Amino acid sequence: MTIVRGAIGGVAGYILGAALLMSIRAAAGSRAWEVESVTAGAWLFALTGWLLGVGVWRYWARPWFGKKEQVYTTTGWRRYFDFDTDHKVIGIQYLVSFLALFFMAGLFAMVMRYELMGVGEDVLDADQYNSLMSLHGTMMVFVAVAATVGAFGNYVVPIMIGADDMAYPKLNALSFWLVPPVLVALTASFFSGGYDTGWTGYAPLSVQSDVGGLFFNLAFFTLGLSSIVGALNIIVTVVTMRAQGMTWFRLPIFVWSIFITSILSLIFTQFIGLAMLMVVLDRTAGTIFFDPASGGEPLLYQHVFWFYSHPAVYIMILPAFGITLEIVSHFTRKPLFAYKWAVGGLLGIMGMSSVVWAHHMFTSGMAEALRKPFLASTEMISIPTGFIFLSALGTLWMGKIRYTVPMLFALGVLFNFLIGGITGVFLADVPVDIQLQDTYFVVAHFHYVILGGGIFGLFAAIYYWFPKMTGRMMNDRLGKLHFWWMMIGFNATFLPMFSLGLQGMNRRIADYTPDLADANRAVSMGGFFLGTSFVVFLYNFLKSWARGPVAPSNPWGARTLEWQIPSPPPHENFEVPPVVLADPYGYGEPDSIHADLGVTQSESIEEGVEA
Amino acid sequence: MGEEDRNNSSKRLLVVGLIWLVATVLAVIAVAAIQWHPFAASREAEITDDAFDLLLLFAAPVFTFVLVVGGYTLVRDRDRGTGADGAPIRTNRLFIGTWVVITTALSVLIVITPGFTGLDELRAEPEPDLIIDVRAERWNWAYTYAESGVETQGTLMLPIDRRILFRISSTDVIHSFWIPAFRIKKDAVPGQITTTMVTAEVLGSFDNQDEMRVQCAELCGVGHARMFTGVTVVEQAEFDAWLAAAGG
Ligand SMILES: [Cu+2]
Ligand SMILES: [Cu+2]
Repeated sequence: MTIVRGAIGGVAGYILGAALLMSIRAAAGSRAWEVESVTAGAWLFALTGWLLGVGVWRYWARPWFGKKEQVYTTTGWRRYFDFDTDHKVIGIQYLVSFLALFFMAGLFAMVMRYELMGVGEDVLDADQYNSLMSLHGTMMVFVAVAATVGAFGNYVVPIMIGADDMAYPKLNALSFWLVPPVLVALTASFFSGGYDTGWTGYAPLSVQSDVGGLFFNLAFFTLGLSSIVGALNIIVTVVTMRAQGMTWFRLPIFVWSIFITSILSLIFTQFIGLAMLMVVLDRTAGTIFFDPASGGEPLLYQHVFWFYSHPAVYIMILPAFGITLEIVSHFTRKPLFAYKWAVGGLLGIMGMSSVVWAHHMFTSGMAEALRKPFLASTEMISIPTGFIFLSALGTLWMGKIRYTVPMLFALGVLFNFLIGGITGVFLADVPVDIQLQDTYFVVAHFHYVILGGGIFGLFAAIYYWFPKMTGRMMNDRLGKLHFWWMMIGFNATFLPMFSLGLQGMNRRIADYTPDLADANRAVSMGGFFLGTSFVVFLYNFLKSWARGPVAPSNPWGARTLEWQIPSPPPHENFEVPPVVLADPYGYGEPDSIHADLGVTQSESIEEGVEA
Repeated sequence: MGEEDRNNSSKRLLVVGLIWLVATVLAVIAVAAIQWHPFAASREAEITDDAFDLLLLFAAPVFTFVLVVGGYTLVRDRDRGTGADGAPIRTNRLFIGTWVVITTALSVLIVITPGFTGLDELRAEPEPDLIIDVRAERWNWAYTYAESGVETQGTLMLPIDRRILFRISSTDVIHSFWIPAFRIKKDAVPGQITTTMVTAEVLGSFDNQDEMRVQCAELCGVGHARMFTGVTVVEQAEFDAWLAAAGG
């Protein structure tokens, strides 16, 4: 049992690390046991122990000692609990883990909205509210950063480029097996009283928070490790593993979006690691990065934090753009309009995303002179973002639109992001932002971007690739019911929040003035409606996975490579490496063929789907 | 493209253009009719609210364009079970060129106004008539009127039509000094003094306007939600009397 071995390794690592640190502390004359200092250091040992237990020992360490590496040979459902190196297994591991986290964080939101239904403290006191709010935000950010890239970047991208796996399959498994420790740290944080800093964890509040805050730092740091490793792998895979003939401008747009997302991840995630590390050191090692009394600088935290966390917004949203354009092309039966402009839009966003971070700090007390440049750069980023809409609208125009469930979700992304994007233009305007910063207007805005864009994109991807991943079809009617229920619930919840923000409700408050009561009650009702929509999804998802009708290899009639092989694909994906002849968007072009898959492969598709 | 297709295509463009025009006019009327802003009581509030309204005006045609073009094609171009492919249009120079030029111009325009112009307006008139030191601590506000040395807590008393400079500091964590009715907000950062200026232009108090309050707008711990006090704006004479009574 991989997980048991990992757990033993983790516990052993913690004990070893703690013993080591405690003896050093004792030798240095301080109290041996101090929960934060010992835990922060021992976490690294625990992490190492866990990784050795789950697979590092078998795959990497044994060969160092001249032994043969021990490969897992588990089959069936047990593979998903192993250190399996097949990118398709890892994709599903990511999907299920982060869906679970998503629903957990969603439940927290339901409790928050229940509390906010009326004036005064009802079910939660202010401290509990702050903790729940902080955990909700943190967990949802983790989901938005990792779910789509982890699940579909892993499962689909290698197939779409005609590869048999990722460039570094073992490293790929490693990046997934760094996720369970993240969940452990979040759980530990919850049970040690949480933290009251929000997901942004501003210093010096975060330096002073309870031990739950330390676990937040460790969780984010560990997820960052996982992101960096995963991003590196995807970059190398796309650069080196493309099939013969798969030139850069023949890549499916989804591959582009994941590739660019990964570049952002690789460059910027280290800064969140740095921000977390600096807070941990301030808490445990007596450093004074953010302690003004000793000459530290609280604003430094915000600069480092947002230097990651603004690009992180694009890490969350670019994959959804990619999915949306991909789906819009396949379900309008038209070539992707202005393909190169769409790619240019993604690249432009990537290029500009590193020079806009201080728009989160217009009221922070940073130098006045920084306001204009960051106002300008932020407003300008709407130009490349507009190219995504240019491409989507151009593709829809005079298409033969098929209203499948994935298509509905893709259209949902466009509608919701339109509102999220336009309100972003308002917030980037400094005079307006001075009033609206830290109000529900901001809450509404980023939920339109991240939930309405990113998570709607995630669900578009789930409905789209479910048949490929599981070999079964999801129920179409239930899918449509889920879409409309979620779409209406989402807008009913978050549209009134703009008005709440304009009226003067600030964010992250457990209680509010009585004039805001009616609107809050309405928002809560919308929230519960939104929350219940996922019951439909879960029922459909689980039932279809177990007993849905068997999926053909290409139920959508799409032209990208993953639909040209059986559902689910065999271990090596393609029997012979495909040769790519044109981009995958040649709908309506008589002689256009995306790829030559070889004779044997087309036979295996005709034989059926038992593979 | 055949002659018929071309006619068809120009008819579509005409129809979409007309709907867009109507939708934009309706949107602009709606934008003007809705009361977007809460109670406003300062010179700064006018600048901020004007900027917001101008952005709404810029946003209206963009919003309606995407909705009308998207909506039209979603209704008109649905596949009625033919299983056929759509027209293989990969590019259109005129459309792309127009799009790029207009969105770029609009973005630049927005940066200049209300962006830069609004900021410059806010920064004009830097000479204060009155200086107040604001001290934030978990979880209340304390004010010192610099000239007279009077220290108060609770309600913030201000004279009308005077340029007021707030010098904001914090003794513990980051807070944010926000007066919704004035549309001003600036963080209180430990180890630093931040500033913001305001001219109150309307008499009033928290008793009759919820927006007349100093509200902490940066999460600062368990008392954050309740970290607010009232703001009262009075005539200069009344203010002087109050200040004298308070010990100045
Ligand atoms: Cu940002
Ligand atoms: Cu505060």
